[in-house]
Amino acid sequence: MSFWEKLGKIDRKIIFLLMAVVIIIPLLSPLNLVGKVGRRTQELFRAIDNLPENSYLLITIDFDPQSMPELYPMYLAILRHAFAKNLRVIVTGLWVTGVGLGEDGLKTVAPEYNKVYGRDYVFLGWKPGITAVVLGMGRSMKETFPTDYYGTSYDSLPIFTKDITYRDIPFMVSLSAGVPGYETWIAYAQSRFGIRIGAGVTAVSAADAYPYLQSGQLTGLLGGMKAAAEYEFLNEKAGFTKAFKPASQLMDSQSLAHLVIMILVIIGNISYFALRRKR
Amino acid sequence: MARTLPLALCFIMGVLMACQFFIPHPLSQSFLDLIIKWVRIISAFALALGVRSVTLRHYERIKRRKGEWGFSVVTIVSLLATALIGLIWGVGAKSYLRLIFSNIMVPLGATMFSILAFYMASAAYRAFRARTKEATLLLIASFIVMLGMVPIGTAISPRLSDLAEWLLSVPNMAAKRGIMFGVALGVIATSLKIILGIERGWLGGRR
Amino acid sequence: MVYLLLFFFTLAPPTSLCVFDTPNDAGKSITISWQKLEEEVSCYEVWRRGEGETDFQLCGILPATECQFVDDKVIDGKVYYYKVVAVKGEERAESEISNPVKSSPQWFATNRINVLVGVIFFSALLLYFIYHARKGKKLFIRRISGLDAVEEAVGRATEMGKPILYIPGLGSIADIATIASLNILGEVAKKTAQYETTLLVPNRDPIVYTVAYEVCKEAYTNVGRPDAFKGENIFFITDAQFAYAAAVDGIMVREKPATNFFMGMFWAESLILAETGATTGAIQIAGTDAVHQLPFFITACDYTLIGEELYAASAYLSKEPLLVGSLKGQDYGKLVILFLLLVGSCFLLLSALPQFRFFQVIIRFFSVS
Repeated sequence: MSFWEKLGKIDRKIIFLLMAVVIIIPLLSPLNLVGKVGRRTQELFRAIDNLPENSYLLITIDFDPQSMPELYPMYLAILRHAFAKNLRVIVTGLWVTGVGLGEDGLKTVAPEYNKVYGRDYVFLGWKPGITAVVLGMGRSMKETFPTDYYGTSYDSLPIFTKDITYRDIPFMVSLSAGVPGYETWIAYAQSRFGIRIGAGVTAVSAADAYPYLQSGQLTGLLGGMKAAAEYEFLNEKAGFTKAFKPASQLMDSQSLAHLVIMILVIIGNISYFALRRKR
Repeated sequence: MARTLPLALCFIMGVLMACQFFIPHPLSQSFLDLIIKWVRIISAFALALGVRSVTLRHYERIKRRKGEWGFSVVTIVSLLATALIGLIWGVGAKSYLRLIFSNIMVPLGATMFSILAFYMASAAYRAFRARTKEATLLLIASFIVMLGMVPIGTAISPRLSDLAEWLLSVPNMAAKRGIMFGVALGVIATSLKIILGIERGWLGGRR
Repeated sequence: MVYLLLFFFTLAPPTSLCVFDTPNDAGKSITISWQKLEEEVSCYEVWRRGEGETDFQLCGILPATECQFVDDKVIDGKVYYYKVVAVKGEERAESEISNPVKSSPQWFATNRINVLVGVIFFSALLLYFIYHARKGKKLFIRRISGLDAVEEAVGRATEMGKPILYIPGLGSIADIATIASLNILGEVAKKTAQYETTLLVPNRDPIVYTVAYEVCKEAYTNVGRPDAFKGENIFFITDAQFAYAAAVDGIMVREKPATNFFMGMFWAESLILAETGATTGAIQIAGTDAVHQLPFFITACDYTLIGEELYAASAYLSKEPLLVGSLKGQDYGKLVILFLLLVGSCFLLLSALPQFRFFQVIIRFFSVS
């Protein structure tokens, strides 16, 4: 096998090893690469930033652990922003497998801002009957969630001063990995009750959300880990947090991984053209 | 009879469900609810058939000591243990089943998912060759998007991420929509053929 | 003078109060709309009184930006009266009491007439071409290399004495892609029955598993080889996405199939399956309508059916005239959509001009709710 042929047929194991190395190194020593903050991320950040103190912010966990690397850092970053701005946070979700993640995020971030459960934030958990739940919240939050995730009755939660509906919630963010997700909220909560919605999605499905941005149905969009890192950067820049930035660190890995893939593709092409010329 | 009954059922249900879409009356809504319940019930019974299939297949492998039959033992034991734990201690938020889910299922699923990063690299290296003009164009576009999506790209040129977003939201979206139109029409045509009994492949290909 | 001052500084009441039974719904709902006041108000209150009741009850509070409210807590057939109150600080101004109104459920969603027209038109087009095909008219169908390769792939597996692996996707039976995949499975099973090649069909959905089982059994019977059918080769694995992917990867590595088919609905596991298949050296034919996964299959497989090609596969493989006829109908349907897209875009542009406002009526007809 000639040198050019070898170059075109690098063993899979070497490629895997190379990928592992470039993913692990930035996790051990971060490079702190900061990209340009995208327009869509800025829109979502601004939408939350402009909410008056004590307004409700609804966050929905419409993803499961499989999409956690991309969506969970977004959740943490939005929670930090909301708590720093003294918003009242309501968390629920349309995926039963996301319940644990919703709870974990609140337990991680709330103590950083000395927020009290029931007064400053509430976790409503998951309920079966997706459409019915989304529509129900437009009519009566109390009827839809008579109790929170832990069984505390709606009336004993000081965060709810009355039976609220979407009309009392100026903004919501759906962190969504598929269906049901932000499209469900647009179809039922926005089209019928007019709530403003921002979304966080995985990078691969971000392109699907663009039409909703163009039509104004979505206010801001976080697409993949890159956007999560941008949100973390905005939070830090505004002085809202000094917490560890998981997405930013993972972005370093992603940057290098992209670079390695590109180099591999270039090597493959060099070998291809060299061999073609020989022939 | 074995063929006529499913075909007739398919036709009647197909027509009824199509009509249901145009009828907002509560009667039509309760019909839809009823059908959804039936689907759930049938799925539960089908799952029993599925479990039977898994058990029988692996039992046979163990009995015949076929191939790497040790894995079949692991499968059967895991299946039984999970089912028993669920049956005895329930499926609530703080149950043992939840523990199994979060400490075994989730990490294993995440591991499989993370393999994607490695496979993407090896697949791209193997297949991305600038063989034709179109392939070259695709290659250039993919480089722009890959760079534009990470901070390194912005460090090279701040315009790269804008260009990447344009590529995703304009040419990429246009192509996707083109495919979606075809898919949507294909879905209607296939549904119609199934309802009318022209397409019978799902019945085993008898025409 | 005091009256005059009051006249100037008093909050004006909401006008043009309009109440009607909410159209195209399952009843129990009345819509109330009014003219938004020009001066700034804090909110609007909507009050309701049922026939035979003495007092009005508050049924909704709306921000100043809204001028429509849907009251969905009413009883069908009962007569109601409404009034809207504009509130500004301590000031309140009541509208006139509305006309009587009652709600009722509808039997036909008039807002979906356009969908009905589209479905009827498209169905008629398909039936016309199917009818033509029945009369024996030959219809041209372009070559789809992925499907031409099916015969070769089965032949190769037979020569090598290795099995064929068929993945019917990870979707449920409700996905048309899964049904299309099962149609192809029927054709592939017929070929494997003729060549006596082993066919492995691991399933993720229990219902799809039962249907796949029957499809294969019937296919083997139809070509006169019921004895060659091995039920244990069509099996259910698990409905957990990545556990399924891991199991299928395991089968690929252990059994080393000569050919892998990936047909149907796929998600993130597509590349995990296809790349493992590529490492085992199998010929790989994929087909999906999941647009996100197409690039992965195109990269890692030898042939890929893109979107609707998957649906066309059954017609292509069986050469059944009725099925081929429907493909022709689909093509004309696409032509009509292309035409409508062009015309619609022109209308939308023109409707921005004041003299072409009437185009908006046509555009509205095409919007789906």
